[in-house]
Amino acid sequence: MSILIKFLFAFLSTIGFAILFDIPKKSIYKSGIAGALSWITFYIISSFFGSLIVGTFFASVVVGILGELLARHSKKPATVYIIPGIVPLVPGAGMYYTMLALVRKDFFTAINKGTETFFIAAAISLGIIISTSLSQSIKRVKYKS
Amino acid sequence: MNNNIVNRNDAKKLLLLASLTGKIMLKNGAETYRVEDTIERICKSRMNIKYADAFVTPTGIFVSLEYEEEMMTYLIRVKNIKIDLNKIDLVNQFSRDFVNSNMSPSEGIDKLKKINKIKNYSSKTKVLFGSLACAFFSLLFGGTIMDFLSTYIISLIVLITINKIDKFKMTFFLNNFIGASLASFLSLASTTIGFGENMDIIIIGSIMALVPGVAITNAIRDTISGDFISGLSRGMEAVFSALAIAFGVGFVLNIYFKGMI
Repeated sequence: MSILIKFLFAFLSTIGFAILFDIPKKSIYKSGIAGALSWITFYIISSFFGSLIVGTFFASVVVGILGELLARHSKKPATVYIIPGIVPLVPGAGMYYTMLALVRKDFFTAINKGTETFFIAAAISLGIIISTSLSQSIKRVKYKS
Repeated sequence: MNNNIVNRNDAKKLLLLASLTGKIMLKNGAETYRVEDTIERICKSRMNIKYADAFVTPTGIFVSLEYEEEMMTYLIRVKNIKIDLNKIDLVNQFSRDFVNSNMSPSEGIDKLKKINKIKNYSSKTKVLFGSLACAFFSLLFGGTIMDFLSTYIISLIVLITINKIDKFKMTFFLNNFIGASLASFLSLASTTIGFGENMDIIIIGSIMALVPGVAITNAIRDTISGDFISGLSRGMEAVFSALAIAFGVGFVLNIYFKGMI
């Protein structure tokens, strides 16, 4: 039940970001589904492994693959689906807690949180890169041979 | 086939068309490799062009092509990156149409100028839905209904303020700084008067609209695909936007914990 509610919230949140970034009107609900599925992946995997970084990585792989598939399906660039989907994964919370720790002069927590934030950002890009380059090399093999 | 470049003027126009296409894509947040690829495809789609190459960075585009043993080069400076995915899609479609048809370059430029003027959503809709996104994000982080409402109102105010400030053409750094400090100040105010419940969640939710997610991902994507200058440049943008937000939040929190509010 709780997962269904989270799915709904993530769906609506992604749609909001999609409109903020001027997504084409026909793609709104598709990008919402991609974002919601990625958030659910993030939620399940990060609570299973107890690591936000691993969760973010798999979530961005999901967004990347869904983005490429939807892009193929609707003949639009994959960025249209990927950008709204990854914005909820961006470590805004990590940035905030790092700053909070710095303000309280708790430098140990600040380093901890800061490193985690950096690795979450790297995990997002890594996940997207894996799906994008996979799809590009599949395309190359398909059309050249 | 497509053989309608007959004089020097046409070749110039083709070059202009290709650079304008690139400019619109880059301005609205497309990746470097996609922009370079589109420019080269447009230039090479006409028979008389023997050589065409593009070098794209997030702050400028260089294109050159060869027409009847003469090299022509065009340079475009790009400022103010603002994400508009609809335009990327439209320009992508346009470039595909241009390559596969016999359209003349000046016709293409007219079409491109029309595309550049299209507004998909009004800025009111964007602000309303953007703050809704932030509000639902605070619920995802475990906020209550009151947190949801205050995040909605606060991000509405922050987004409207940022749109207003944008007209003064200050740097993105100041914009983000002001946005983040406004967001944390209002969150503090709302929890102090007892409207919102969790200050942390409200702040995190309302800075979400400012966070440079696109810049971070595009930076690392560019670097890994070998566009090192683009990667560095976008990386700098991401790092400094994040720093501005952190400074904004830190500035307000620091004053608060010193007991000055």
